[in-house]
Amino acid sequence: MTLLATGPYLTLIEADGVRHEKLRPVRLFPLTDPQHWVALVDENGREAVCIEDLSTLDASQRTLLDAALARRDFVPVIRRVIAIKRATEGHDWHVETDRGQTVFRIETDESIQSLGGTRLVIIDKAGTRYLIPDVASLDRESRRKLERYY
Amino acid sequence: MRIRRTSEGIRARKNPCPVQSSRGDSPRQTAFSQKSFSQIDFGLFRRSVSLLTLPSDLRDPAQTLLQHAESRLVPGERITARLSTDLNWSLHFHAGLIVLTNQRLLHVEEGAFHDWRLQNLDELLLEEMGPTAALHLMQGEKAVWHWRLTAGHLREVEAFIGRFKEQRGLTAEGGDLGEDDDEELFSPEAVAEPKFAGKPLLRLMGFSRPWLGLMLLGLALTVASTGASLLGPWLTMSLVDDVLIPLQSATHEINVQKVYQFAGGLLGAALLTWMLQWATTYVVARLAECVTSRMRRATYEHLQTLSLGYFSKKRTGDLISRIGNDTDDISLFISVNFIDFACDVLTIVFTAAVMFSINPVLALAALGPLPIVAWLVQWVRVRLRGGFAAASRAWSALNSVLTDTIPGVRVVKAFAQEQREIERFRQHDQQIFDTNDRVNRTWSFFEPTISFLTEFGLLVVWSVGAWAVAHEQTTVGVLTGFVLYVTKFYSRLDAMSRFVASAQRAAASAHRVFAILDVKPDMPSNKDTRKIGRLRGEIEFKDVRFRHGTRQIIRGLDLKIAPGEMIGLVGPSGAGKTTLINLVCRFFDVSEGSILVDGNDLREIDVIDYRRNLGLVLQEPYLFFGTIADNIAYGKPGATRAEIIAAARAARAHEFILKLADGYDSMVGERGQQLSGGERQRISIARALLVDPAILILDEATSSVDTETEREIQAALDHLVKGRTTIAIAHRLGTLRKADRLVVLENGVISETGTHDSLMKHSGTYARLHAAMVEVNHA
Ligand SMILES: Nc1ncnc2c1ncn2[C@@H]1O[C@H](COP(=O)(O)OP(=O)(O)OP(=O)(O)O)[C@@H](O)[C@H]1O
Ligand SMILES: [Mg+2]
Repeated sequence: MTLLATGPYLTLIEADGVRHEKLRPVRLFPLTDPQHWVALVDENGREAVCIEDLSTLDASQRTLLDAALARRDFVPVIRRVIAIKRATEGHDWHVETDRGQTVFRIETDESIQSLGGTRLVIIDKAGTRYLIPDVASLDRESRRKLERYY
Repeated sequence: MRIRRTSEGIRARKNPCPVQSSRGDSPRQTAFSQKSFSQIDFGLFRRSVSLLTLPSDLRDPAQTLLQHAESRLVPGERITARLSTDLNWSLHFHAGLIVLTNQRLLHVEEGAFHDWRLQNLDELLLEEMGPTAALHLMQGEKAVWHWRLTAGHLREVEAFIGRFKEQRGLTAEGGDLGEDDDEELFSPEAVAEPKFAGKPLLRLMGFSRPWLGLMLLGLALTVASTGASLLGPWLTMSLVDDVLIPLQSATHEINVQKVYQFAGGLLGAALLTWMLQWATTYVVARLAECVTSRMRRATYEHLQTLSLGYFSKKRTGDLISRIGNDTDDISLFISVNFIDFACDVLTIVFTAAVMFSINPVLALAALGPLPIVAWLVQWVRVRLRGGFAAASRAWSALNSVLTDTIPGVRVVKAFAQEQREIERFRQHDQQIFDTNDRVNRTWSFFEPTISFLTEFGLLVVWSVGAWAVAHEQTTVGVLTGFVLYVTKFYSRLDAMSRFVASAQRAAASAHRVFAILDVKPDMPSNKDTRKIGRLRGEIEFKDVRFRHGTRQIIRGLDLKIAPGEMIGLVGPSGAGKTTLINLVCRFFDVSEGSILVDGNDLREIDVIDYRRNLGLVLQEPYLFFGTIADNIAYGKPGATRAEIIAAARAARAHEFILKLADGYDSMVGERGQQLSGGERQRISIARALLVDPAILILDEATSSVDTETEREIQAALDHLVKGRTTIAIAHRLGTLRKADRLVVLENGVISETGTHDSLMKHSGTYARLHAAMVEVNHA
């Protein structure tokens, strides 16, 4: 099995020579297990291959896949909650993430989802996911602000 | 008119059966005297203590009749079954008892007795007539006796007829029925025995037993803090008499030292009270939280043990309201009001004691209005009790409207019925308003009345006190202390009145919660059930009958399914296909006959253990709130991600899951991602496949996917049904191509079985269903 990068896409050549063009990687468990289970899916959503453990790939293939994933990945990890303000509909969050500071709006309390334990996912109005991997590891001030909403 | 009806009743009673036997062996009729009945009554009381607590008119007449029947047995004769009848021939309520022995059939009713030898009898015929039924005793073609009873007894009747048949066959061969079997037949009567629930508030005490230590601590703290709060007035008394009065009359020097002492003492008393009250409040609030949390859990755990039959009768909103609101009321009662109450009682007793010890005359005057208050409390209590129960019920009704219309909001909107739903809500809300308003009216009168009585008590104390001071029988200081005590006393009475309200509310709530806890699981779980582990998957139906209430749904079904066989179950809507599957899953027990799996009667094996062998895809797939992965792994929480993905692939769910933003981590269920009907179905198929069931049950599992997807799922299923017994229901007959056998169910009975081809040749119901389907498809 060989992976090639063709423009924005990936191409897969299987051992028996079958080519799959225009593939993009999709994580099956983007929130609970991002490091495993990546499927390569074609334009029509058909799965060409599913890789359970990325570390089984050799280094060059891995880099290729990681790059393709990184291009699509956008789940900012919240490091600090600066302020949460009630808005007319829902509330506005001002946070500091691993990708810098941002402000987003969430619409209902249901947009804050707990994924078992202290892992939180926050889905904003636009559908962007923000992750708090461990609420307990946030600073005291942030936790206090968060407490009122979740 | 009334007299005539009564006389008819009497006539009917004396001659309950219009059938005259023309043969020689007409039933021997014997009247027995009233005296013998009362003797039996005494015997009954001695035997069964619990019956003593019943009012005499509620006593089960069947017991009395049974005693009589027993007295009629000849040596060597043994009762093998009995059946209570509750109507006479003219359909008036009248208790009777039919007893089957190893030799005879006996009939007992008040004032009459008949019997027939078994070998002379042929059959017991049941005739169902909606709310009532008749049982005909047949001798050849001829009916020798008739009984009438209400349809509620049908299950027992059917069981009795079964026993009759067995016993008759055995008697012909000279044998008996085993004795052990008796118990089972009698069980419906055992269940019907009324249960007397204790007073709800006393039962609450039972719930707090694990926290006895906490309770005692709370009590000790209450006593201490109440005692501390009484120090203030005591000190005031001395302050006035020893410092202020002498000061005013200026006969002594100003004793600054003493002023400081008293002020310090007062401050200390206040601080002590403050700290003790703080501790008390927390300890008691914690106790309340413990008790109600235990109650909520116990109620929910109990709910989970109840069968499907219970839930189909219950409104979701009502259950939610009982577990949520009602336990909350109880918590409030224990934490706030109960402790207050204890404080109040203590304060009242302490103050009364203190007052009497200081000056009995003044004390007596101060407590004058007390009897009025006591009467008032009683009066309010009675009026509030009904009011709070009504309020709780009204809340339940409101919750029911919400749980009904919010999930059904699409239907509401589609039919433009918003206004009507608003009106429905308004009506229920009005009901809450009205009941609360009624309570408030009682209430608003009560509180000011207590206040008034307080003022009145004070007035009495002032006037009696003034008189006493004037006659030098007491001092100004004592009077001041008294006024403080009386104020405390009556303010406590006032608080106690609030307790009356909340106690009534809590009692009403506790009653509603206990009502759930007192429901006996209606599927009596056999104590000595066996664990069976992994099944091979053989299922055998033996003359299975089942009724929902009085309606017979399955009427005598015989079928044997070999391990690994795939059965396609078809038939018109309402034929009883889903019901049959409910029986296989043991959501309900058969009314008659039996279902055997691997040769074990379903009723004799452990339900939980058995259901681990089942994979079920329901007609209406249900997803819980959680991720897709969690939903697929519902039946096997420890499943690995690889297993979950494999199951999803097999159910053809994998690819649509990939299209969701969060893949397998997407939230679905009530407030999660909206999935289409077909997508939900595929997830529930994956869920069933993941548990690797020995028996796979598909109830219209592919009804909401397009034919293309269905073919794909079918292909996957074809592969998966291998090695497991499968029962598949489908209206699209093509889905069942791969079935080893097709079973056509019609009106609760099997009308045809065979392969697709043989059934087409037979040109029966199946061929007709098939033709209709082809026609629709071509139209
Ligand atoms: N809980 C219940 N109480 C009373 N009657 C019921 C109950 N459940 C089902 N029934 C009745 O039993 C009959 C058989 O119902 P069942 O659901 O088994 O039909 P079905 O063959 O599965 O029909 P369909 O193909 O429409 O799903 C129906 O007439 C139904 O009204
Ligand atoms: Mg059905």
